[in-house]
Amino acid sequence: MNRRTTYLRVGQLGFGAVSLGVILFAWWQVTANGIVSEFLLPAPAAVFEAAQRLSAGYLGSSLTAHLVASLSVVLSGYIAAVLIGVPLGILMAWSRPVDIAMGPLVAILRPIPPPAWIPLAILWFGIDLPGKTFIVFVSSITPCLINAYVAIKEVPANLINAARMLGAGNASLLFRVAIPAGLPMIANGLRIALGSAWATVVAAELVVATAGFGFVIMSGYRNIESDIMAAGMIAVAVTGFIMNLLFREVEKRVIPWAEHE
Amino acid sequence: MERAGVGIIEADLVMDAGPCERDIRSAARGNGIRFQNVSMSFGGNRGGHPTLAVDDFSLEVAENEFLVIVGPSGCGKSTLLAMAGGLTQPTTGRLSLGDEPIVKPGPDKAIVFQTFSLFPWMTVIDNIEFGMRLNGVSPAERQRRIDYYLPIIGLKGFEDHYPKQLSGGMQQRVAIARCLVLRPRLLLMDEPFAALDAQNRTVMQEELVRVWSAHRPTVIFVTHSVEEAVFLADRIVVMTRRPGRIKDVIDVRDTTGAQHWRAAPLDQVMRRSDFQDLRGRVWDLIRDEIVIE
Ligand SMILES: Nc1ncnc2c1ncn2[C@@H]1O[C@H](COP(=O)(O)OP(=O)(O)OP(=O)(O)O)[C@@H](O)[C@H]1O
Ligand SMILES: [Mg+2]
Repeated sequence: MNRRTTYLRVGQLGFGAVSLGVILFAWWQVTANGIVSEFLLPAPAAVFEAAQRLSAGYLGSSLTAHLVASLSVVLSGYIAAVLIGVPLGILMAWSRPVDIAMGPLVAILRPIPPPAWIPLAILWFGIDLPGKTFIVFVSSITPCLINAYVAIKEVPANLINAARMLGAGNASLLFRVAIPAGLPMIANGLRIALGSAWATVVAAELVVATAGFGFVIMSGYRNIESDIMAAGMIAVAVTGFIMNLLFREVEKRVIPWAEHE
Repeated sequence: MERAGVGIIEADLVMDAGPCERDIRSAARGNGIRFQNVSMSFGGNRGGHPTLAVDDFSLEVAENEFLVIVGPSGCGKSTLLAMAGGLTQPTTGRLSLGDEPIVKPGPDKAIVFQTFSLFPWMTVIDNIEFGMRLNGVSPAERQRRIDYYLPIIGLKGFEDHYPKQLSGGMQQRVAIARCLVLRPRLLLMDEPFAALDAQNRTVMQEELVRVWSAHRPTVIFVTHSVEEAVFLADRIVVMTRRPGRIKDVIDVRDTTGAQHWRAAPLDQVMRRSDFQDLRGRVWDLIRDEIVIE
């Protein structure tokens, strides 16, 4: 990174911080002057207090325990989705028979929004880890599969032709050309899937759970503690933000040759 | 060697080739390429009108010959190269390399593509090595060939760069090197120097002559530059506008005689009046075919 882009980045960060500060200030003013009732919008101080209560342990679980509860569901469902979705997407793009066999199934299942699976998942797998894992799996397999499929389909014909000219057989074409060429788009799918997995687990915990951030938010709602609700939402946001950040860092290291934003 | 046309090719060579070139050329005759009534049309399968890109193209390129094709944009030059490289099959007609019909691509028919075609996830070295790896060239030999070509293409010190870190001209030079290291029988080059600036272009033209002379694969070279064509070619094929047909074939050796001028530096050659005359002649042929649409 050269000096210019460093200045640019610092400038952007500073600008972002200012706008965040303005929002926080407005939030504080609105609640402090009683313009909006405490019941609808808790004051920043109250939320901070609730966050402290959360981290000390809320409804039988510490903050870490809630985090672990949510994350374990996310990771198990997400990893399963990656392991099945990416190879399946690649295979469908590469092999016409597989495309013909699986295409219609994918086309029918894809438009179902993940939360619509929640009741069925509970019916099939119960309210514990397996049920929620399944919902996360369903929500994150779609971006994995679709991106892998498109990535392989859209490998520039030029690269395939060049490889064939150099003497690549079918296996080399797939493993040494098409898949590496598609990697940036596949990685993009994996990142979208991770976000989708996180969103879905919270939704699932809102419906039925005994721990996790979604459960925290819902408990805040049931107990009419809007500050707990807000603190739970902030925990969801921060965790999602950090996951995305980590993913981008890994991506930059694994695919150094691609154009990164 | 029961092959129709061989006699004609040979007669051609004996007449045109100088004493030193003749030996090399007649030593082996397995690498000539033949286009027999080749036509290619695209599309038209979904109700649209098919585009006739190449129309009844017949030509024999002798082994070790440096053939240059010029013609207006869209006249089917790239299409011809793709067919010669075995990437696509003609709608009608046949192509053969030596005694074998051309049915599939392979490292014996190397292609320098018109547009960007390096593998973005491979470094310069990996890009150059990839073809050799695919074809089981030993590590020691791979290293030897890389050491030979890397300085020639002027990319020493850039071994570990990714294509996105190179200029367009540098990328194209890597694309050329990755073909040369394969020691192809046929080298197909589609406007390989179009992305280079004038100075680099001249240097690369002269270097190409030098490395080509070492192994003398049969070359089909496409360019928009008449000057480049006249400097490099044994023969120049001028194409008509689409559908591409052969308009004229000009044998540069008729002008240069036995000692081809491409062995000398370009700036020196450009001062020759016979060079300028030929250049004017080729340019006149092309000008008629250019239409502004
Ligand atoms: N894959 C394809 N599908 C349909 N039409 C094609 C295809 N490839 C080429 N054509 C058409 O065939 C004609 C010849 O194309 P080609 O690329 O061979 O021209 P060219 O002589 O190489 O042109 P240029 O000098 O601009 O590179 C063009 O009209 C083009 O539109
Ligand atoms: Mg072209």
